[in-house]
This record gives sequence, C-alpha cells and structure tokens, in this order.
Amino acid sequence: MQRRPGDLALLAALGVLLAAVAQYGPFLYSSPLRTPLNPVFATAAFIGDLLWVAAALASYWRDPGGRMWKLLLASRMVAALGAIWVVNTSLTWTIWQATTGLGTVVFAHLVLAFPSGRLTSRYDRWLVIGAYAVLGMARLAFLLVWDPRSTDCFPRCPVNPFVMWPSADLAWLLGPGLSLLIPLLAVLVCVGLARRWLRASPVLRRMLLPVALVAPLELGVTAARYLVAMDRDAWQTVGVTLSTSPLAFLHAAIPAGFLLGIVAARLARGGIADLAVELGRGVPLGGLRDTLARALRDPTLALAFPAPGGAGWVDPQGLPVDVPSAPTASRSVARLERDGQPLATLLYDPAIEAEDPGRVEAVASVARMALENERLAAQVRAQLDEVRASRTRIVEAADAERRRIERDLHDGAQQRLVALAMRLDQARGQTAGAGEIIDATTSELLQAIREVRDLAHGLHPTILTERGLAAAVEALAERASLPVRVSIPQDRLPDEVEAAAYFLVAESLTNAAKHAAASVASVDASLASGALWVTVADDGAGGADAARGSGLVGLVDRLAAVGGSVTVDSPPGGGTRVTAEIPLRRGAAG
Amino acid sequence: MTSDTGPLRIALADDAVLLREALAGSLTAAGFEVVGQAGDVAELTELLARVEPDVLILDVRMPPTHTTEGLEASHAIRREHPRIGILLLSQYIETRYALELLRDDPAGIGYLLKERVTRIEQLADAVRRVAEGGSVIDPEVVARLLGRPRAHSPLDELTAREREILQLMAEGLSNHGIAERLVLDPKTIEGHVTRIFSKLGLEPTGADHRRVLAVLSYLRAE
Repeated sequence: MQRRPGDLALLAALGVLLAAVAQYGPFLYSSPLRTPLNPVFATAAFIGDLLWVAAALASYWRDPGGRMWKLLLASRMVAALGAIWVVNTSLTWTIWQATTGLGTVVFAHLVLAFPSGRLTSRYDRWLVIGAYAVLGMARLAFLLVWDPRSTDCFPRCPVNPFVMWPSADLAWLLGPGLSLLIPLLAVLVCVGLARRWLRASPVLRRMLLPVALVAPLELGVTAARYLVAMDRDAWQTVGVTLSTSPLAFLHAAIPAGFLLGIVAARLARGGIADLAVELGRGVPLGGLRDTLARALRDPTLALAFPAPGGAGWVDPQGLPVDVPSAPTASRSVARLERDGQPLATLLYDPAIEAEDPGRVEAVASVARMALENERLAAQVRAQLDEVRASRTRIVEAADAERRRIERDLHDGAQQRLVALAMRLDQARGQTAGAGEIIDATTSELLQAIREVRDLAHGLHPTILTERGLAAAVEALAERASLPVRVSIPQDRLPDEVEAAAYFLVAESLTNAAKHAAASVASVDASLASGALWVTVADDGAGGADAARGSGLVGLVDRLAAVGGSVTVDSPPGGGTRVTAEIPLRRGAAG
Repeated sequence: MTSDTGPLRIALADDAVLLREALAGSLTAAGFEVVGQAGDVAELTELLARVEPDVLILDVRMPPTHTTEGLEASHAIRREHPRIGILLLSQYIETRYALELLRDDPAGIGYLLKERVTRIEQLADAVRRVAEGGSVIDPEVVARLLGRPRAHSPLDELTAREREILQLMAEGLSNHGIAERLVLDPKTIEGHVTRIFSKLGLEPTGADHRRVLAVLSYLRAE
C-alpha cells in the first residue's frame, strides 16, 4: 500500500474530529446525569488525544500497509463513542451502556500490539481475542436483561429498547459485575508486556520503553476506577478524583514517547555523518562490525562476506557462517552487491526498520568501501584457515600411511620370519651336526623378529589407538631407560591430538635418555582452556635447541599442523623442559 | 580343565594362515590334538559352538581392524565358555593388557609374545599350565616391569635369587614349577617366597594365579 498525502490529510481531519467529539461533545448537550464540565480539563484531554492522533499519522507515514495506525484510529473512535451518552436518547444511551469497557480492551490490544500493530505471541493473541469475546457477549446479553425502569436512575435515564427478559440480578452481573474482570485483564496485559520485554532485542526495548513504563500505571488507574465505580460513595470520593486528576492524562505519555522515539531516531541519523568521519580515519581490520553496530544502534548486527570459493558465507574472522536466504522474525537481511557480485550481507534486528526505516541503507552506503576492505580481509583469513586444514589433512594422511606400513610389516615380513624360525626348530635333531647351525640361525632370526617388532611398534603403537594417550605413555615409560613419572588424565581425545602428544613425549624421552644423559624424567599433561598441555621435563645436560635438533623440528611442524605450539626451555646444565599446547578443536588456536 | 583321557584338545585362531598351519603342525608333533582353526572372531565363535577345546590359542590382533579383536573376544569367551583355557599371543607385549586379562579371572589365562611359538617346548609348557587352570605371563612382561629403572624401591632389598624367584612367580609358575626350573627343593622355594612377600610388604595369597596378579600389580605400581 502506497502512502498518499491525501489519505494522510483525511486521517488527520478524522482524528481531530474524533478528539473534539470525545472531549467537547458533552458541552453541546445538557444532561441531567453528568457532573459539571470543566473546559480547562477538557482542553488538556483534547491535547492528550491529539498526541494519539499524531502517533496514528506517524504510523501511517511509516507503514501505510500496517495495522498500527488503524488500531490507533479505532481507539480514537471508541473514545469518541464514550461521549454519546450525553445525547440522552434511548438508543444512544443504550449503545453507550453496551460499549462500556470496550475502550480498556482496545487499549490492552494497542499496548500488546505496539509498535508493529501485530500480536506476536500466542499468549497475547488469546488474551486479546478472549477479552473481546467475553466483553462482546456479556454486553449483548446485558442489553436483553437490563431494564433501567427498575433502577433508581429512572426516570432520569431513558428506557432500553432491546430489553426482553428484564432481570436486575443478571443485569448487575453482566454490567457492573463484569467490571471485576478489568483488574484481571490489567494484570494479564502486564504479564504479556513483561514477556515481550524479556524477549525483546535492545532495539525493540528502546521502542517499547514508553509503553512498558506507562501502560501498567494506566491499566492500574483504570482498574481502580472500575472497582470504585461499584460503590456510589467510593465513586464520589476516589473515582471522581481519579478521573479529574492529572493521572487522567497519563495515557498520553505513550504516544508522546513513541513520537519522541521517532524524533530521536531521526536525530541519530547524525551518527551516520560521524560514521563517515570514523571510516575516513580508518577502522582496524575486523573492527568494522563494532563501528557499524554503533552507527546502526543495533548491538546484534552481524556481517557476512561471500566465502572465497563463492559457495557460502564467512564472518569477518573468516570462519564459515550460515546466512538465512530470507529474513526471519528475529533477523533482517540486507544484501549488498558490487557490479552484480555479492559484496556483503548485513544481518540486523528487524526492529531497526520499525524504528527508523532507511537507516540500514544509509549506513551501508556510507560503509561500502570499508566493507570492501573487510571482505578482502575475511576472505584471506578464510583461505588461511583452508591452508591450515589442508596441512592437517596432509599430516593425517601421513599417519594413515604409517599405520598401513605397520600392518604390512606385521602381516608380511614378521609372519614369514616366524614361520621360518619354526621350520628350523622342527628340523633340529634330524641331521647330525647341523644342530649348532640351526640354533644360531634361530637366534639370528629371533633377533630380526625383535627388531622388526620394535620398528613396527615405533611407527604407530596399537595401545595409543585402543587405550588412549595415558595408557600409551605409561607403556612408553615402562620401556624407557630412565625412571619416568607419568601424570596424564585418562580422557580420550581426538586422534590427531593424542598422536601429536604421544610423539612429542616419545621424542622428548628419547632425547632425555640419549643426548641429555638425564637420570630422571617426568611427563605431565592437563586439559585447560580448550587445549591439551603437555610438559616433558628432565634433569639432564640441557642446551637443546628446537631450531637445530632434527627431531625437535619435526615436532614443531607436527604440532603446527594441529594448531599447536611447542616451547623448549633448556638452559645449559639446567635440564630440559619441553611444553606443548595442542588445541582440542582444529582452528581454536594459532 | 584337563580331559582325563587322551591328548589335550587345542583350537587355534589367527588370521595368518601360514603361521597357523605351522603352529598346528608343531602342536600335533608335540602330542596335542588340534580340533579346529579359525581366521577371525566370527569363525572362532562358530567353531566354539561346535567343539569345546581344552585350550584356545588366539592372536590378539585379527580382522577387521587388526588391533585388539582377540583381546576383546577372549573376555566374551571367558563368559560363555568358562572351562576353556585361553592363551593369547601378541606381537607386542603390553603390561596393561596382561593385567586387564588377569583382573577378569586369572585362572586358565595366558599372555605370551608371539615369537614364543618358535620354541615348541616352551609353548607346550604354557599350554599345559593354562589347561591346568594356571596363569602364564610372558617373561618379557615381567622382565620389563622388574628391570624398569627406579629411584628407590623395596625391590633393591631382594637378593639375586629372590629376584629370580619373583620373576618366575610373576610368570605364573607355582612353587613346584619354580623348584623344578631352578633345581631346588620346594621347601626352600616356600621360604624364599615368604621372605619376598614380607620384604615387599605384600599379603601372602593362596592360589598361584592370584599371586601372579598381586605381584604384577605391585611391580607396575612400584
């Protein structure tokens, strides 16, 4: 629906007319029932009503197809309807009686539907529908049973033309009695408001603030008025005070807050000029999101850039992210393009559009160049991650190869050697004098078997795959040529982490025994901040250098491939301490 | 677990056919009866449903993953056929696996380095001990635990003879077996064993196979 200035003018005229009817209408008639009128009070109320009309016009201007302005207009119509009782004919009097309470239900509807005009939760919908239904049915029934002629108000008040089954008790129950439900409605609306507040985004809360502050007070005053109206004396004291004190204008704070919000949002457009200055000064790479979030006034803003391959999206850090293809209830999506190619996607709070339509566009157009820079940086980061991943895959492939070699050795050479040794053993004693030769051959074969076994075991120990790091390192310590104290958590970790840690320990213990001539060593491992920390310490000669010893270089590479790092602390004569950090999740570090 | 009459009945499980056949030949020549052979755990299960051997000799690693299938299978066989003695052969010796096996039920269990099959008299001895409900632990497991470098330990208090006897106890030999091996009087061995236990601060245990577990656990923890 297009907005049309003509419609806007019409709406303005209608709104002013309704406000005038509501507040000045009673002056045109002299009713025997009314309390004395106060022109100052009526004018103040008229101004309050005009604020509501202005809010309706602003709503129409922003979203002519929306519901909010219609709801605001409806509330003004109900308010005007409240003035017709003074006409004091049988029909108008009866209609007025039948619509008592409608204004409160419309107000509840308005509060819960603010600012979009739509009831978003099931609770809100059932509450509003229920209130309309109960009120509507009760008032229709009321018309059929209420007979003013049996009340003390008669003959000052006119007769009810619809009455069919006059009953004073039923009339009380369906009329004033029903007012007892108004406080309940007030409480339920406050609950609905609280639920919305708790679930609202920061931007939406900014818009809800006037309603959240004023509506509970206003509902409380209304509920109090309905309650005291049940007692004539109470009404004369408390009720009249409530109706004629400044509290009667409390509700006008809602449209006032709403209009102020619009003005504030407009003023915040000045922030976009600041954004241009800030971008001109230069934003550090990766910091653009925060800068844009400030300019948009949306802390939940997220940026996504096309992934280097063209498929999918990455965040400013280069990590893959999901971008919904269509806006959702909680996320709006703005896609920016450059020469027909996607440049970036902004994911932001939909309430931003309600608060200040066009701000996202304005911010995006100012930040276009910065977004281009950030896109390039994000894509480079994503590529770097990809390189890391491929490096890891290479190491994994090498590990798989080691396992294969180990199996081949086991199934091939070893089996053959064992079988040969057995045949020799069987042949013993069959040829005189050959015994010694056979014995010697068997010994040599056994030696070969042992060597092949040790080689195969060193390639990839089964116990590491089967029982994990702690068991494998304990087995390593058993075979070590120096006492080794082992303290490793029993947790199973990702294969590549366990393998990296195991070979680090194996290499370090070999160095400790062979090169450092250590007399004792210790292996400690712990899990902290998403990483496995391994320390191998000895009391040897020290002086080890990660850049020179070939075994240590291999370790550094191997750990880098899984995103880990090694530090070697080895002062001459002061022992050696090798510490490694291995992230449990790939890409979590480095 | 021994049958009263006739030779001990043996079943073999190993995916290396060459080795299995050679082993079957050696065992038959040594006077055992090989009642069946299997190449993997499924075949073995099927075989044990048909015949119940006195002793099952099986490889720790078998298809499909070639890791510890035999080890896992032996736990299941223990539950379903408690009368079968089990002798596990392993390419590599892991003390942890030996202890896991013994902890279940140490009677009639053996864990040997695979290359022991080349000395058929050693293997035959192990098969007989397992068939009689004893435990057999590879000398290399014990040697590794006993020979481990240690800072200070009650083990230093043992004499050379006592160390020798401790080694044989840990391998699963009874006092009688140790006496035979060292050509000593069983009474002398008993005295040594008592002294060893008191030096190490261990509670004396009755059954030989319980003793194996106690000694191995001690050596591993120490």
